[in-house]
Amino acid sequence: MSVSEAKVVANIQTGPLVDPFGNTRDDCAVIALKHVTREYAGHGGAVRALEDATFSIVAGEWVAITGPSGSGKSTLVNLIGCLDRPTAGELKIDNVDTAAMSATELDRFRADKIGFIFQQFHLIPYLSALENVMLAQYFHSMTDESEAKAALERVGLGDRVSHLPSELSGGEQQRVCIARALINNPPILLADEPTGNLDAANQKIVAELLQDLHRNGHTIVMVTHDPEMAGLAQRRIALSHGKVFCHPVGGPMVTLRRASDRS
Amino acid sequence: MVNLSLFGMLRRSLVHRRARSVSALVAMTVSAGVATALLTLYADLDAKLHKEFRSFGANVVVTGPASAPLRPDALARVQEAAGPDAVAAEFAYAVATTDTGTPVVVAGTDFAAVKRLDSWWQVDAWPEASAMDVALLGQRAAQFVGNEHAVALTYAGHTATVNGAGRIKTGGDEDSRIYMPLAAFTRWTGVGPSVIELQVPGGAAKVEATMTRLRQDFPEMQIQPVRQLVEGESKIVDRTHALMYGAVILIALTVAVSVLATLSASVLERRRDFALMKALGGSQVQLMGMFLMETLVLALAGVAVGFVVGSAAAWAISEGNFHTATLPHLSVLPLVLLLNVVIAAMAALFPARVLRGLQPAALLKGE
Repeated sequence: MSVSEAKVVANIQTGPLVDPFGNTRDDCAVIALKHVTREYAGHGGAVRALEDATFSIVAGEWVAITGPSGSGKSTLVNLIGCLDRPTAGELKIDNVDTAAMSATELDRFRADKIGFIFQQFHLIPYLSALENVMLAQYFHSMTDESEAKAALERVGLGDRVSHLPSELSGGEQQRVCIARALINNPPILLADEPTGNLDAANQKIVAELLQDLHRNGHTIVMVTHDPEMAGLAQRRIALSHGKVFCHPVGGPMVTLRRASDRS
Repeated sequence: MVNLSLFGMLRRSLVHRRARSVSALVAMTVSAGVATALLTLYADLDAKLHKEFRSFGANVVVTGPASAPLRPDALARVQEAAGPDAVAAEFAYAVATTDTGTPVVVAGTDFAAVKRLDSWWQVDAWPEASAMDVALLGQRAAQFVGNEHAVALTYAGHTATVNGAGRIKTGGDEDSRIYMPLAAFTRWTGVGPSVIELQVPGGAAKVEATMTRLRQDFPEMQIQPVRQLVEGESKIVDRTHALMYGAVILIALTVAVSVLATLSASVLERRRDFALMKALGGSQVQLMGMFLMETLVLALAGVAVGFVVGSAAAWAISEGNFHTATLPHLSVLPLVLLLNVVIAAMAALFPARVLRGLQPAALLKGE
């Protein structure tokens, strides 16, 4: 049982790990930020994109990150997604401090721990749906065609494996993106506006897929502008001008299944 | 069975971006082609230029002391000392009178040797080597004879009649002379050879070395270089070398700029693909490796095509200018390869820097 899975079980055994003030138990946090600040060099001096952010997310939790453009959402996604490191503060993913890692370690860690779902899908245009999924395996460890096919079947695209992205609808492309995010079984799914480019019908399909993944114990951190999508999350973390200004408990807590019950 | 490999992705990426790939390949091919052509010509340049200069005739003149006749075995000794590659011909001169009463310089020589020595002479018909009563009439000298087919020449009261077998035109002193076989000339005039013209193959250094040897072996003879020819050859060879070096460097730099632009555009338009790969766990080393592998593949493909095209170009240039074919030189391949890889590496520096500074989150967000 991995650390993340153990935390999911702990979540079941001990009940909600988020108190009414939005604080989570440190020992169960799969993502933990303490006074995290990220500054960038600007022409007029340092620009503080994220300031003193402190919050944590427990395993199996679905959190929506909201905020206007320029509020620091991308910076936060960058940091949680291990694509960047904080200028100050401590950021722990699965209890490991990412600030102490080298760039190579961070690449490896990212491949293990994070599955990305993008608003614009970002599929490689000359690779088929199957190969796009296998690409994540390629950078993680080694490719396995049957696993990649199973991931596509899981998102309802078993009959589209050999199609190029240009031959798939927007919704189908997003489902390939989700299959790619899931293929290495990462403990955290980082979804950046996952339904931002989809019509209502496809938005519903993707929302249901995310709900299904959450029911199966995945931790989902979702950046969204869409109140309806944000409403599906258990908790909302709002950002404004680089500051986390509230993180109320939102939405109903879902019942988590034991890790061992997962199919 | 689907197998996702680095080379498979590389191949499909290149095919997918056909126009960009072809553009980069053309640039690399031009670089390799030009380098191959110039280096192939360069490899043959010395031989070709020396051969060209050889066609201008002798580069060393051997004369007896105070213009006295040479010893009968002089030609054989000079030939032996100069080596088997050297071409030598001896000349005897006398001023005779034509049947119209005009004085004319008559030279006795070996037509077979002169034909090899002075291949640049324009002769409409060389006399048979074995014929004795034949002559080559200089273009101007022919105007002073009555009947070209029975030229009566008088020297010291002795008359010889020769048949003008052909005319010679050089634009020089030869146009005013009448050439006849040496044996017939000596029998008629009693004058022996006084000059040996020698053509030494190789550059100025080899000519100098041969002259030094001849001076040591034959201190009684005067050994003189045809200085303008030897110095001119040396200067032209040196200048041509410099010109070709310069051309290779200039073209390499031009191509490097072109490849730089193509590779930069190639990376810039795929920033999101690379950002995605980084987000999926691709390390800096892996991404850089993919990009450099792509660049290397283009450079190698450019060398393969460029070597063939460049060799063909060298052949055509050589055929057109020197009238001899230049065969492909495999020895230039490592240099061409090195040059193309260096160009590709130089051109890849900026795109590699772009790649290193990728901000995946911002790019994948569409910012």
